Amino acid sequence: MARIELDHLAHSYAPDAPDPAWALRPIDMVWEDGGTYALLGPSGCGKSTMLNIISGLLRPSQGRVLFDGRDVTALDTGRRNIAQVFQVPVIYTSMTVAQNLAFPLVCRKVAPAIIRRRVGDIAERLGLAPHLQRSAVGLTADHKQLVSLGRGLVREDVSAILLDEPLTVIDPQMKFELRKILKQINEEFGITMVLVTHDQNEAMTFARTVVVMNHGEVVQAGTPQDLFEHPATTHVGYFIGSPAMNFVEARLEGGMVRAPALGLARAAPAGLAGGDLALGFRPEHLAPDGPGQRVGGRVTRIWFEGLEEVAEIARDDATFRARVPSGMFRTGDDATLALPDDRLLVYREGRLVV
Amino acid sequence: MYRQKYLFLTPGLIALVAIILFPLLFTIRVSFSGWDVYNPGLSWKGGQNFSRLMADSRYWAALGRLSVMAVGTVLIQYVLGFALALLVWRDVIARRFFRVLFLVPMMTTPVIMSVIWRTIFHESLGPLNPIIRGLGLPGVPWLSDPVWAFVAVMLVEIWQWTPFMFLLLLAGLLSLPSEPYLAARIDGAGPVRTFFSVTFPGLAAISVGAIVIRLIEASKILDTVYVMTSGGPGESTETASYYIYIRGLRDFQIGYSAALSIIYLVIMIVALTIIAKLLVRFLVRPAP
Repeated sequence: MARIELDHLAHSYAPDAPDPAWALRPIDMVWEDGGTYALLGPSGCGKSTMLNIISGLLRPSQGRVLFDGRDVTALDTGRRNIAQVFQVPVIYTSMTVAQNLAFPLVCRKVAPAIIRRRVGDIAERLGLAPHLQRSAVGLTADHKQLVSLGRGLVREDVSAILLDEPLTVIDPQMKFELRKILKQINEEFGITMVLVTHDQNEAMTFARTVVVMNHGEVVQAGTPQDLFEHPATTHVGYFIGSPAMNFVEARLEGGMVRAPALGLARAAPAGLAGGDLALGFRPEHLAPDGPGQRVGGRVTRIWFEGLEEVAEIARDDATFRARVPSGMFRTGDDATLALPDDRLLVYREGRLVV
Repeated sequence: MYRQKYLFLTPGLIALVAIILFPLLFTIRVSFSGWDVYNPGLSWKGGQNFSRLMADSRYWAALGRLSVMAVGTVLIQYVLGFALALLVWRDVIARRFFRVLFLVPMMTTPVIMSVIWRTIFHESLGPLNPIIRGLGLPGVPWLSDPVWAFVAVMLVEIWQWTPFMFLLLLAGLLSLPSEPYLAARIDGAGPVRTFFSVTFPGLAAISVGAIVIRLIEASKILDTVYVMTSGGPGESTETASYYIYIRGLRDFQIGYSAALSIIYLVIMIVALTIIAKLLVRFLVRPAP
């Protein structure tokens, strides 16, 4: 178990090119021992690159990786004592489940008696005990993924478990089960876990800290609550939350930031320069009535979502979405909703001002 | 309902009967006849050809020789082909050049190359013995000694057909997913353990296919033997197909050679089925 530090880490797959395309831009980050982290972002944003650098499958072009303050950048992946679970379940096809689980210990020349005990314990913990003597090839996808995870857990001193979209190929029902098992294992063993995913739901429910990435950069790192209520950029606002955050063009007028298209306004923070301004608000923060400003228009579409509905409301050229109680509006209705002042955020050049 | 399906099946069935079934059935009929150079035609001799065959020790010896040669060459081809494929699998210098180079022997004509090899093996005029003597070793009676002649034929077979193994195994290697290799690295496995835990099991199915295909091909060996040794010295390199060729096309005992062919076919089908099953059991099918 270890505290992982990324020190000025950066990576390019062609570092010698005159204008290297950075898969990962310079980054400093600390992952506390025993924490749960999620790297969230679209495909190609650099999250898998970062994971492979931490596990040692990739040597970074710049910077250092530290485990508990010890520089491991040059260390081979086997000696870093990392466990990694891949998107595709990896099993050794010629071996039984027990042999699969024992493999990392056999490679490290651990005594057979200890191996037997560890394999037994972990199989019991992961619910694989009845399958131990079966061939691993015959298992279902979720059991295979548990075997992959188990190969990480059999090492008592494993530094961290890196999960590279491990739930993508799992049935929805089993996904929930596996996620639960992962969380329990984190709590029981206190192992640092880093989950790479492009599914915001998975990230928000699994991790205490979510790191949103885009174009090789960390855009925002924070608790799920933080990301939801104060997205650092418009990109995070779009990416987190369903439906996405509403943004409307705005301009600076006499100490106020105004969005004339929707008739919204809020006091400009001191020192705000002009430029590309926008006001943003969450569909969840609109209420049928209450304090704050009124915003309205004609309902053009409705999505059913159980007890609630998402209504798309248009006014002139601008549209926004609101999460409202089911049955409140019908398509074509005129709607007016209330938005508390502190829920209206100001963005300049795509970044949160206040 | 689908009665017109027979209409569509007919052309295929006719071709099947004409191409596969008819020659086979005809051969079976001929094998019960006494067709030879004096009495051509489909006479009926009952099982006489087969009882003669049972007592024909030259045929059984040729079959035994063939099994040694086929199994021996194919196993060596497999090991060499695997080694060559591993050599040019990953990023090495001039990878494409070597990949093509290793395939060259397969693209040559067996008969022509056998002539070339016969010249190379020639005891007094060929280039091989002077090289061996240059190394301080005694010259080898390549084609005049029974054991060395057998070795020489095997060498040519191995030279010619190792590229086939190489090609299939390289294709197999290139199709292996990368994740198991990453996982093996993370689990702390070294190169040897990675080979036996990931690479070899990953290629088990394709290995069985390649070995069986090569065994079928190798069992038909005729041209190399014909050109290099003509089955000699004595009968020391005579294989089953070469013996059948002698009986059928040199002695014109058509009926008898048909009987030899039929028995050869039956033995091959039984033997290859058993070999394929054993290979699948030991290589492909996972542990219980």
